[in-house]
Amino acid sequence: MEIRAFQIVVPLISLLFIISFVNRYRKSKTSLKEAMLSSLLWLGIGIFAIIPDLISNFIASAFGIKSNINAIIFLSLGVLLYMQFRMFSILKEQEAKLTQLTRQIALREVESQDTK
Amino acid sequence: MIPLSDIHVILPAYNEASKIQEVIRSIREQGIQHIIVVNDGSKDNTAERAQQLDVLVVNHLINRGAGAAVQTAIELARRKNWQWIALMDADGQHEAADLIRLKEKMEQSDCDIVIGSRFMQRNRQIPITRIFFNFIANCMTNLFCRENFSDSQSGLRLLNRRAIDAIDLQIDGFGFCSEMLIRAEQVKLQIEETPIRVYYTDYSIRKGQDFQVGLNTAFNFLWNALFK
Repeated sequence: MEIRAFQIVVPLISLLFIISFVNRYRKSKTSLKEAMLSSLLWLGIGIFAIIPDLISNFIASAFGIKSNINAIIFLSLGVLLYMQFRMFSILKEQEAKLTQLTRQIALREVESQDTK
Repeated sequence: MIPLSDIHVILPAYNEASKIQEVIRSIREQGIQHIIVVNDGSKDNTAERAQQLDVLVVNHLINRGAGAAVQTAIELARRKNWQWIALMDADGQHEAADLIRLKEKMEQSDCDIVIGSRFMQRNRQIPITRIFFNFIANCMTNLFCRENFSDSQSGLRLLNRRAIDAIDLQIDGFGFCSEMLIRAEQVKLQIEETPIRVYYTDYSIRKGQDFQVGLNTAFNFLWNALFK
């Protein structure tokens, strides 16, 4: 089997990211859930880089898609859409926190006026 | 009987410096003295203009939307133990005398929330675009409600203590109008509508919802309904 450069570089980068997530978790800089999900994502990318044809052909046959390249494109679109959804959810959560903060400051100001 | 002295009128305001004093004076002419302006991060001198007339001004440091301003008002009412609050637009489109209609409707029906409906009024002069936007908004709101509301987006409302205690809003923008009705129904509050007059001027049309804001409102409302 011919080994191409990306099959070495990408798994190495993935490994670096996984080590970094484990370290961040050990230093309590991230939650267990976040560390595990991120590590799993990078583990998947690393494994995919090592055996891309086997995995893409498996995905293509599992979903009934003719070509393995199309399967990868559809899968990538799905992942991107999910990530977009997650980012929008996080944005909404941050906006809600900002509103909460703004409201509480306003109400505290009124209460402090009352006590004067 | 609901004494006028026990009604607190809330004016959520964003950049309403040119109108706010006129609106406050018109409410006082009805014999209502408790007026609260929730200044939602205005960039003009809305707060100063309101304070000149000696009303309570609650200041949001940054603009968070009409729904956020109403949430602040409701929270304030809980903390101060106010028995009735009326919500009214600060752009002058509402007739202050209609606050009395809302009060009378609540007295007659013993309901928890009265909505001032622009579309129950005969001889109404509402721009066609507003009728269209409100029709869409009503359809969307009524989809999630048991009752059919003729004006789910009206900014003129009267809430009693039960409603003040029971309603928790989440939407920061204009979508709060629909959300309030849905949540009120969920906690079994009784809602009534009564006709009100409304005055559309170039100013109030410019200030109100346009297509872009309407889309945003609809999207936020659906997002909230589906994912919260």
